[in-house]
Amino acid sequence: MAKCCGQPAEREPAEDPCAWFAQMIDHCYEYARAAKAAGRPVVGILCEFTPRELIMAAGGVPVCLCGGTAQTIPAAEQHLPANLCPLIKSTYGYHVLRSNPFLEMADLVVGETTCDGKKKMYELMAETRPMYVLELPHKSADAEALEYWVRELAEFRAFLSQRFAREISDDSLREAIRTLNHERALRREVAELMKFDRPPLLGRQVLDCKSSIWAMPAALQQYAHVLRTAARPTTASPPANGDGRLRVLMTGVPMVHGAERVLDIVEHSGGLVVAMENCTGLKPLLEDVDAEAVDPLRALAEKYFHLPCSVMTPNDRRLEVLRRLVAEYRPDCIIELIWQACLTYDVESHRIRRFAEETLALPYLRIETDYSPSDSPRIAMRVEALLETVRARRGPSAVGRQQKSPLPLGEQ
Amino acid sequence: MICAGIDAGSRTTKVVLWDAARRAVVAAGAVDQGIEQAALADALLERLLQESSLDRKQLGPVVATGYGRKLIGIADATITEITCQAWGVRQAMPAARTIIDIGGQDSKLLRLNVDGTVDDFVMNDRCAAGSGRFLELLATRLGVRLGCLGELAGRSRSPAMISSMCVVFAETEIIGLLASGVTPADIAAGVQASLATRVAAMTGRDVTCPIVLTGGVAMVPGMDAALAAALGQPLGVPRQPQMTCALGAAILAAQRGWPAESDWRSNAAGKPAG
Repeated sequence: MAKCCGQPAEREPAEDPCAWFAQMIDHCYEYARAAKAAGRPVVGILCEFTPRELIMAAGGVPVCLCGGTAQTIPAAEQHLPANLCPLIKSTYGYHVLRSNPFLEMADLVVGETTCDGKKKMYELMAETRPMYVLELPHKSADAEALEYWVRELAEFRAFLSQRFAREISDDSLREAIRTLNHERALRREVAELMKFDRPPLLGRQVLDCKSSIWAMPAALQQYAHVLRTAARPTTASPPANGDGRLRVLMTGVPMVHGAERVLDIVEHSGGLVVAMENCTGLKPLLEDVDAEAVDPLRALAEKYFHLPCSVMTPNDRRLEVLRRLVAEYRPDCIIELIWQACLTYDVESHRIRRFAEETLALPYLRIETDYSPSDSPRIAMRVEALLETVRARRGPSAVGRQQKSPLPLGEQ
Repeated sequence: MICAGIDAGSRTTKVVLWDAARRAVVAAGAVDQGIEQAALADALLERLLQESSLDRKQLGPVVATGYGRKLIGIADATITEITCQAWGVRQAMPAARTIIDIGGQDSKLLRLNVDGTVDDFVMNDRCAAGSGRFLELLATRLGVRLGCLGELAGRSRSPAMISSMCVVFAETEIIGLLASGVTPADIAAGVQASLATRVAAMTGRDVTCPIVLTGGVAMVPGMDAALAAALGQPLGVPRQPQMTCALGAAILAAQRGWPAESDWRSNAAGKPAG
């Protein structure tokens, strides 16, 4: 299991409301093993476009397989080009090494035609694993494209029914939708704690409050636990923020479990990540599915088709989401993370930069990196320079002061 | 009050002593970077103080910047090269709106607001072919001193094409050119043009004048002309282009006295602030 785990930030376990999530992978592993022993199929998924609700309605346990470690990448590069995004390589490396226990116990892997790198990687993975690929059309504003996606999900529903010998009724689908709406609502509420002037959590804690397997009863309880304990300021000390940190909105690629390095650099350099507009942050949580819809499958298709991923074109919805998050979370600057060779986010970053600087009037920094820590000092320098620039805009004297005498921005 | 700025760069360490009351540079110096960065900086600072007939007790706040800034124990604070460079150039060439800094190991582009504060910055630190390291390698290959490269390039009649995107492959390319009889002058001019093109690409064709060239590479004769040609714009070079970043650090040191509070970074790992 060690390979799955990143370096958790130093915390005092007794006081950390998110402590349970430090062993999230272990909890998921136990849950998946028990489910498997009870005869439930385990289904690996690799993207937020894959509707977990359909898999759950078929009795399956959907589990995220995205790799966040650099350790499996050399094995992946036996087959894949070196100049490919580290998320794809890390995930595929687990496949080659057979070292991701969830992938090894999976009865089915569901891929999707999002970016070209993943699409072609799935073909290689499918040589030795049962694979189903959903075809996602990319024109997000096109009515016909949505119809295609509805039909694609209907086919997937039929496939799952047949594969796991279980009819997926509208009612069972609605039940799965309600469960995940509940989970999305809880995670949204955790994220919304960061709207406060003095947020009770670090961005790293919010990022950790997630589970590779959704709808695990223990995880649902833990989200509620975080909301109960974190919203209340701890006894003697003020909340973690409030000591001169600047508010940062992160956008771009997902920071999957183990790949939190850049966020940690931001928070060690004087930033506080108050919002994450990415797939491991708010992107998949912002919209629920209408469980009462006459046609729940169509409602499901609409929700997922709306995800503002950079594979969609044009991806105008991402700008709307950014505008909304900036209004609600009041960041001082925007940092975009691009995994090296992630073509769609890389190209789209030009548009995001202009939107940030010209429309939102916020300083913007683009960080392109991979899973290796070799450039951490240089990334830290860029982040520090960005934060210095933000402080300089607030007053000529602030720039030379922040390092040892932080301004009390928490009271702003 | 005498303040000091220490720029612990990748190839050289620079120190500037700044008289805050007179707003004037008291002394400036540079030494090659080495393993013992803190000791090197300390020795240089000591030498400059002695040469200026000052002693340590007369030294006010010290700010460190550059790659090695966190290693400089005598510094009261660290500030990034980006901010320091902007403040140094604001002092040396107040009208500047764009700074191109080519250091030993990376290159940077800073866009400045009218008041000299940083609007935006871009860095190239993934590829040495846009840095002073490229020129050092060339000088070694051609067996000339770094300072003589400009003169050599000036004798070129037909600059060679150097197209490799990576300094290691560029060296292979240079060896190939030498083997096929291309003159050192043409190679030197080719490398200068290649470096200038690479750096100019960072600007994205959107560059506000006046442009100022800083960093150690600005001291290589002909580099400013090569870059001006690549940009299609004139550019200025401060009198001591290697020193502007350390100068900015010294000016920032003079901004305020530094209260002796514990570093807030100790709280950065997530413990609630006490």
